[in-house]
Amino acid sequence: MTTLTRKLLRTITSGWGQFVALVLIVMLGVMIYISMNTAYSNLSQSQERFYQEYRFADYTFTVVKAPESVISRIEAVPGVIKATGRVQKDIPIVKAEDERATGRLTGYPLPQEGEVNRLHLLSGSWFEESPAGNIGVLVDPQFFVANHLTAGDSLEVIAGGKKVVLTVIGTAVSPEFVYPMPDAAALVPEPERFGIIMIPQIQAQQILGYPGQINQVVVDLAPGADETAVVREIERILEPYGNLASYPRRDQLSHAALQAELDGLKTMSGSLPLVFFLIAAAIQFVIINRLIKTQRLPIGVMKALGYSSFQIIGNYTGYALLVSGVGAVLGIITGIGMAAGMSQVYAQFFNLPSTIGGINLSVVIRSVVISLVVGGAAGLFASRSVVRIRPAEAMRPEPPASGKHTLLENWTWLWQHLDSSWKMSLRSILRNRVRFAITVLGVVFFVCLLIFALFSNDAVDYLVQQSFTLSNRYDYIVRFTQPVKYEDITYWNRWSEVQKIEPLLEVPVKIKAGDRAEDELLVGAQVTGELRKVYDMHGQQKQIPEEGILLNKSTADKLGIKPGDEVEVHTTLGIGPTRTERLRIVGLNQPMSGSGSFISWETANRLLGESRVVSAVMLKLDRPEMKEVEKRLYEMTSVSSVMSPQREQAAFLQYMDTIIVFIAIMVLMAGLLGLAIVYNTSLMTFQERQRELASLRVLGFSRREIAGLLRKETGVQAVLGIIIGLPAGKAMGNVLMASISTDLYSMPAVIYPRTYFIAALLALVFIGIGQQLAIRKTGQIDMVEALKNRD
Amino acid sequence: MTPPILMSLKNVSKTYIMGEVKVEALKTTTLDVYEGELLVILGPSGSGKSTLLNLMGGIDQPSAGEIFFAGKPLTSAGEKEMTNYRRREVGFVFQFYNLIPDLTAAENVALAAELVHKPRPVNEVLEEVGLLDRRDHFPSQLSGGEQQRVAIARALVKQPRLLLCDEPTGALDFETGKRVLRLLYDIRQKGSGTVIIVTHNTAIGAIADRVVRMRSGSIADITINQNPVPPERIDW
Repeated sequence: MTTLTRKLLRTITSGWGQFVALVLIVMLGVMIYISMNTAYSNLSQSQERFYQEYRFADYTFTVVKAPESVISRIEAVPGVIKATGRVQKDIPIVKAEDERATGRLTGYPLPQEGEVNRLHLLSGSWFEESPAGNIGVLVDPQFFVANHLTAGDSLEVIAGGKKVVLTVIGTAVSPEFVYPMPDAAALVPEPERFGIIMIPQIQAQQILGYPGQINQVVVDLAPGADETAVVREIERILEPYGNLASYPRRDQLSHAALQAELDGLKTMSGSLPLVFFLIAAAIQFVIINRLIKTQRLPIGVMKALGYSSFQIIGNYTGYALLVSGVGAVLGIITGIGMAAGMSQVYAQFFNLPSTIGGINLSVVIRSVVISLVVGGAAGLFASRSVVRIRPAEAMRPEPPASGKHTLLENWTWLWQHLDSSWKMSLRSILRNRVRFAITVLGVVFFVCLLIFALFSNDAVDYLVQQSFTLSNRYDYIVRFTQPVKYEDITYWNRWSEVQKIEPLLEVPVKIKAGDRAEDELLVGAQVTGELRKVYDMHGQQKQIPEEGILLNKSTADKLGIKPGDEVEVHTTLGIGPTRTERLRIVGLNQPMSGSGSFISWETANRLLGESRVVSAVMLKLDRPEMKEVEKRLYEMTSVSSVMSPQREQAAFLQYMDTIIVFIAIMVLMAGLLGLAIVYNTSLMTFQERQRELASLRVLGFSRREIAGLLRKETGVQAVLGIIIGLPAGKAMGNVLMASISTDLYSMPAVIYPRTYFIAALLALVFIGIGQQLAIRKTGQIDMVEALKNRD
Repeated sequence: MTPPILMSLKNVSKTYIMGEVKVEALKTTTLDVYEGELLVILGPSGSGKSTLLNLMGGIDQPSAGEIFFAGKPLTSAGEKEMTNYRRREVGFVFQFYNLIPDLTAAENVALAAELVHKPRPVNEVLEEVGLLDRRDHFPSQLSGGEQQRVAIARALVKQPRLLLCDEPTGALDFETGKRVLRLLYDIRQKGSGTVIIVTHNTAIGAIADRVVRMRSGSIADITINQNPVPPERIDW
């Protein structure tokens, strides 16, 4: 070991805390980098592989009823590689105590080889060729677990107006059910109440009454095919069979949810770790800069002895490289652990059969390279001043640091009211501008992270408030298997528990404007209704129009229309003939989730050529969740589902529990970062002014007063950082929310005042700890030192 | 008639343990300091004079013996009492001034003034050291002598009963050094406090009421100066 290396190691051991604090920041950066990038690449590779191997459809078409023979005609369309026809229908599942759940009964043509949206068996056994007794079905794993099923259990469903008993033979998943949600209006999967039932095609056709017929076509398109042209051709073929809806993969619910997660992860994994690296680099720069200033004399001596500037620079850069190296090693270890944890969480959320785990070597190597390059650059940049040190000058004592009047002093009133210690702190801060800026920026980022961590909780809370308290004021929404006369339902009013009942008529439509068309669900509700209010994402109440449509803004954008425009509305209910009407757009709505397009109940009826018909009713009871009422409702075969917002909310909140872990980890990481930044700055301030502080001690300053001086100096920077950090955090939230908003969800960056308060408080706590760790050193001030000769 | 005793050191010694070596910086020493006198402690480096000053200033604790200030024991005092002692009773002047670079001359003085209940007016003290016109200058804008005079003003503003000066002229040229000594001499003449100067410069002994000579960690002799001379008349 060369003497120079030994000197480097001594520098590190004498400033142990500082070294550790820097290593910590680099470690966090590498950890986040590795965990997020690994999780991203694992998840996206699993997705890609699953989609590829199980042939996830590029396009899905829904029709009323079409003969199976239509498939060969579709496959003949140039650009189509493979088309699979199937029947799919949502049916009520009768659970214990007559409770209902919804099953998405989906038929799969056998054998499955080569088909689109193929099944992957996870557990149990495959469909038997000629089953004896009950029909064997597969269900999705979440439904299986949530309902405590075991292979061989029977499942009672209502299909084609009669009860059918199925036997669960195992679990399976397909690319379209990675994230099984009933519809866009659902906030989260509710596996107890919604499941996928997978069944051989022939049996599906039998029990649903579709002999030799299908109601859905899923298509695999050739790479590079002209999607629009192919889709138009397929729609033309399907037109006679009542083409209800068609949507590309990107609008498929499960895919959209998975993709949104991937996109968010990608955004974060790119930018977040980089900021950690940069902060570590900035602080290293300041530390090495200071180190060189205080070691002017030894540097001068070394140069006088004949060491080159280059050798000495290398030595100081070595400090930065060592920080990066040690930080990287620790970051790799923790990052890989965290990646495994994240993959586990994702495995709970998403049904991906082959979650690729393990270590992504290229990510690891990249993280090491980035941290070393950034650290090395900071070291080189900071130690370049070594070149300018001349031996003879360096060995003479340094003149006193030059105090300067600051701009702040022009504010005479303030300045006159400050005591000397404040003046001292403020001038010292303003003298070290670079350090000041870096510290403030560091704290700003730290506070941003805190806000960012905390606000996801607010966003969820806001969503819950909006959809469960403000918008949906009913206790139950009861959906019927097909539209019924409202008058046939109103007798429920006589039930003693029922306070209020209001009609709903949900009409799936295709909206055409010019040559563009979009599928949309129009919710028909009473204009004067009280159980369903409309609020947009900003919490603004919207009025359901008597005439015309209050349209979802993203649909309007896709169609290129604005309020006042008239559009052509085609019903796609699947029952009865398609009807067309021209309606005016009277307003736009930006919902947080779900359809968000509203018309009056009367308009909805007119669209269908009906009067006073409902597809669902909302009930307000004396007390929410009344088992009695529920039981009565379940006994009616016309009822397909009974949903309770309370239950949905509970499921949602439970689902969001994982967020708490995320928040805790983020807060901890942010806190460590803030602590490390403040510790370093405080320590530097202390070290630089050790002699000054020692003389103050001799003058009669108590330890507490000395600590107070240091607190003032870092405190000013910290408070400034917090003040800037709070709105900066909000801005960061806005950018993030905008980047992860999809057609399915859009969320405002809601941050409650309380959160700012908590963030500021947490920031102060972490800053306080960092400061305290540094201030402990004031106990070591050696007063005799103040009297000694200077170096 | 001897003036009352301000401070007395009784059988005080100080031993530093440096690694495995014991260094006896101050051997058993007994010394009284009288109120209002100008005492010069002379000695070469390593003679124990700085150790003695540190003990008297309450920034170091003796290994054995007792120190009394105005009759009260300092040696048994705790951290808080020691801070208060330095704060109220002692003024310190360092060889290298140790001014706060971020404070102007006046602010450096005010910093000390803020520590005590009844400080002297800052401007009055600055006037006394002849630096009122430079009150708004920062240390980096002052010469060495000026910085030392600010340091003296900083010590005087607290109206300490004991002014301790460690090589106050050590970093100054001859003329400037004499100006600084004049200030210290005047304090004694006006009877506004006890002044102790520690130095290796034997010539300075001439201005003192008493001279304590130190050698190898103990007092070699104490001489009483019947006729102290003003600093202008000394030479080195």
